[in-house]
Amino acid sequence: MKLNKFAKLGAVAVLSAVFLAACGSKSSSSSSKQVLNWDQTAELPTMDLSKATDRVSFDTLNNTNEGLYRLGKDSKVEPGMATKTVVSNDGLKYTFTLRKNAKWSNGDKVTAKDFVYSWQRTVKPSTGSQYAYLFSGIQNADDITAGKKAPSTLGVKADGDYKLVVTLDKQIPYFKLLMGFASFFPQNQKTVEKYGSKYGTASKYMVYNGPFKLTKWTGSNLSWTMKKNNDYWDKKNVKLSAINNKVNKSNSTGYNLYQSDKLDMTYLNAEQAKRLADSKELVTRRGASTFYLEYNQTKKEFQNKKIRQALSLVINRKQFTDKVLGDGSTVAKGLVASDMSKHNGKDFADEAEVKEATATDTAKAKKLWNEGLKELGVKELSFALLSDDTDKAKDSTEFIQSQIEENLSGAKVSVTNVPFKTRLDRSVKGNFDVVITAWGADFADPISFLDLFTADNTYNNGKWKNAEYDKLIESSKTTNAGDTSKRWDDLVQAQKVLLKDQGIAPIYQQAEATMVKSKVKGVIYNSAGANYNFKDAYIK
Amino acid sequence: MRKYLLKRVFYMILTLFLVATITFFLMKLMPGTPYSNQQKMTAQQIQIMNEQYGLNKPMWVQYLIYLGGMLHGDLGVSFQFSNQPVSYLIASRIGASAQLGIQAMIFGVVLGIIIGSVAAVNRNTWVDTLCTVLSIIGKSVPNFVLAVLLQFYIALKLGWFPIADWGGFSYTVLPTIALGVGPLAETARFIRTGMVDVLNSDYIELAKAKGLTRYGIVWHHALRNSLIPLVTLIGPYTVTLMTGSMVIENIFSIPGIGEQFVKSILTNDYPTIMGVTMLFSAGLVAVILITDVIYGIIDPRIRLSGSGD
Repeated sequence: MKLNKFAKLGAVAVLSAVFLAACGSKSSSSSSKQVLNWDQTAELPTMDLSKATDRVSFDTLNNTNEGLYRLGKDSKVEPGMATKTVVSNDGLKYTFTLRKNAKWSNGDKVTAKDFVYSWQRTVKPSTGSQYAYLFSGIQNADDITAGKKAPSTLGVKADGDYKLVVTLDKQIPYFKLLMGFASFFPQNQKTVEKYGSKYGTASKYMVYNGPFKLTKWTGSNLSWTMKKNNDYWDKKNVKLSAINNKVNKSNSTGYNLYQSDKLDMTYLNAEQAKRLADSKELVTRRGASTFYLEYNQTKKEFQNKKIRQALSLVINRKQFTDKVLGDGSTVAKGLVASDMSKHNGKDFADEAEVKEATATDTAKAKKLWNEGLKELGVKELSFALLSDDTDKAKDSTEFIQSQIEENLSGAKVSVTNVPFKTRLDRSVKGNFDVVITAWGADFADPISFLDLFTADNTYNNGKWKNAEYDKLIESSKTTNAGDTSKRWDDLVQAQKVLLKDQGIAPIYQQAEATMVKSKVKGVIYNSAGANYNFKDAYIK
Repeated sequence: MRKYLLKRVFYMILTLFLVATITFFLMKLMPGTPYSNQQKMTAQQIQIMNEQYGLNKPMWVQYLIYLGGMLHGDLGVSFQFSNQPVSYLIASRIGASAQLGIQAMIFGVVLGIIIGSVAAVNRNTWVDTLCTVLSIIGKSVPNFVLAVLLQFYIALKLGWFPIADWGGFSYTVLPTIALGVGPLAETARFIRTGMVDVLNSDYIELAKAKGLTRYGIVWHHALRNSLIPLVTLIGPYTVTLMTGSMVIENIFSIPGIGEQFVKSILTNDYPTIMGVTMLFSAGLVAVILITDVIYGIIDPRIRLSGSGD
């Protein structure tokens, strides 16, 4: 570390020689009506959809480009580039008819070939896409990403300019949802090849087929603007003329700008959220991301169900989310996040809830704990609680540690807070006792969470195993894949099995507190995948 | 002098080489991969990605490839900002940091000299006490606290300057003050101490006896001699400004380089870690050299002893 400090020290000196004039962009304090001023917490790292991995990129791609579908309110599939979809009876073949009036911002027509090119590019190992795994299930995708087959063998073909035929290896019940995610958007081959390694590194090295066009983004600056795209097929329904984005890494700065009307939306930290709890402009966005305790079940003590249950029952989650976090996060009902996936009007999280698995009952906890210790033949149990080293993670470990040690005699908890990458590394290697971990869904289907805990899943770091669970997940993917209701029941049952066995202890569902001016209307927020869709947004 | 400089430059290059080597190997010891979606990638997928980026090669091969690239001015491509060359990333963000650092330094040192001199000349009076109290406050209040206060009262409440952002001189005023108060306090303290010593020396008595004005004595005799210790201070301080500016850059939403360094380490963005480290180290060794040369100019005794080998 001394080295870093040493290194940091030096920079200025060279700099003092190079007196550079101010650069950057001017704030556009446009007062024209349909302009939205939006806060961002981080830079926009890339616009290359094959390489995007982060929220800012996916949000921006979602508004400046468009796939076969666009995700509307509650992740409902709305028309995008496709006007008609025909699915074969066995669910393995999708034929999309594309609209003929869709254009890229360079004037080219959006054709089926753009999809074929884009998908092949993403699964090709040399592209280095970190989201290529989402293509798993499309014919030959796994073999291509593994380098065993040529990208041209991917199960996606253009039949003329306006017909796209996709062949699957196995049914993907949430396939249409995926089509609304940026990784499946089309790419204009001419543009990708023209700019080469510069493609997607600045707003000018890109073309757009969505409601907005990106401008003023240099690749590393802190502000950019999305302007209405006049080449967009549905431009008559796009009301905003521009969205100015500004990166503010300090929440207090964001809120100061919001108060002086320089921003129409800003993110709040927990402190601010508590202070502004009564404000009418406070909008809490629940993300499809659940935090839970994962027990290392290769260790004898955590193979004991009573121990797992006791540790879960002592945690007062309500107190934790309200008093400690205070940012709008809510008590998790299970592994699958609330408000993400609905069937017949019912939320998955409600249907698949097992109250006991997230309840607080110290008396019962004590009883189970003592029984568990007896079964293990020990008088006390010491273990380490692993988590990230962010402020929030430290608050979490501290709270859980105190709840356990105060209520369970003979429990000794040591806390280890490490950087995220180190935590991941230790989780993957099984180098932990109990870890506070989180999972966020890529798409709004319960399987995005539930896939995690099958016995052979590589992300199942705690190694919890249950044959019934595996069977239910398998059935949802095979026997019942084509039957929405039966598949739903399989998944509901699977989560119940996981929770009844206390395979994990769900703690909270993450939320984000924001302030949004009341004049801002029609912004669509989805908890999984890309968060914001501004197509229908307007200023009143 | 020339031989001395050549020798120093040789040592500079050697230092940079050592920094590059040590940083490279330490960096590779960090757990995890540079892939931000690592949590959702299987071991096999990570393996495939490593092959794509040459991260599966033996470490010494990677090291040689990196050194080779660096000698050709190629710092590699960032992982956080995919496809973005590290050299572009640094070039596009160094300007704001440099400008801010220099402005803060000028603001702090100039005002510090004035306040320090005033205090020394009026030593042991209420003026002196006031200046001392102010510099203690300036030194002990963290710059981010001051930044938040300035932003809230001066920018939001009074509306005299922009709250945040980067667009012209007015945007730099508040961050410059926030960043410059530290060096200001330190300079004032140094100058006061130095000047009090000098003012007590015999040659000042002589100047007084010759009938020179108080202003003339301070300006021509006392100040120049009190400046020598300041040179030692400025080098490291320029450097401290850079480290401190990460927080200031975040508070005022300035597109600087400060945060990139920390973020690159947290995300295992190897090429950026190396690029920024090398930039910072090159800056540091250059500061040290410049400081030594300036020393020689102000105080000829140092030049003689430095080059006398």
